[in-house]
Amino acid sequence: MDKDAQLDAAFSALAHPARRVILARLAKGEATVNALAEPLDMSLQAVSKHIRVLENAGLISRGRDAQFRPCSLRTDPLAVVANWTDQYRHIWDARFDVMSGILKTMKGKQS
Amino acid sequence: MSGENNWVKITRVFDASIEDVWSMWTDPELFKKWYGPKGMSVPVADMDVVVGGTRKVCMEMTTPDRAMSMWFIGVYKEVSSPTRLVYTESMCKEDGTIIPPQAMGMPEGHPDTTEVIIELSESDGKTTMTMVHVGVPEGTAGEGGWNQAFDKLTDLLGA
Repeated sequence: MDKDAQLDAAFSALAHPARRVILARLAKGEATVNALAEPLDMSLQAVSKHIRVLENAGLISRGRDAQFRPCSLRTDPLAVVANWTDQYRHIWDARFDVMSGILKTMKGKQS
Repeated sequence: MSGENNWVKITRVFDASIEDVWSMWTDPELFKKWYGPKGMSVPVADMDVVVGGTRKVCMEMTTPDRAMSMWFIGVYKEVSSPTRLVYTESMCKEDGTIIPPQAMGMPEGHPDTTEVIIELSESDGKTTMTMVHVGVPEGTAGEGGWNQAFDKLTDLLGA
């Protein structure tokens, strides 16, 4: 993946609170899906889905142990998005795109 | 990992009046419409838009399984309609208790309290908006938002 594609994948993966909780847990060391599911109020199946999203974004890797396949954090893509200001720039830009659309609609109604 | 700049600055020009852009920030019903893109909704936006007034915003992401909520609380520091608005923001629980961003899975280096500064100017029917989002460094003036302001007030009152 080039840097832009990597950023896009990482940001969309980070755009969910549950996935951020998973990453925060993995920052402390590798963990199984069961251990990751524990603090989350959702089904194992849902947790597995979130893990797959993180794995596809290259943010985590899975062990080879066929039964448990523990997850661990991959820090390289995270380094690209570690700065909170980068995260917020993306978020605000998206918000202002929406704002611009609403303002256009309002103007249309007035004239 | 705090990076070189502890702030985000974005300038946009809207084909709209300054009053309309101001209302995007200060009218809760309008604010709810644009603040939560990409699958996030804003079910709660309580705004007491006066200096010292509180703002409390809930962002919600609904998945097929359930809804997850994130709450933010802050206080208005400057309200100069329609040109300048400054407010603070911290992650909190539903009851307003401030929680550290790391507990919500935000990366290390994310400040507990941030400040949003919006400046508007109108020219030829278009409005230029400059938004600066600043991470408030620990131990400086304006730190910790209103929580610590209340602590100071308590001190002043000699409690």
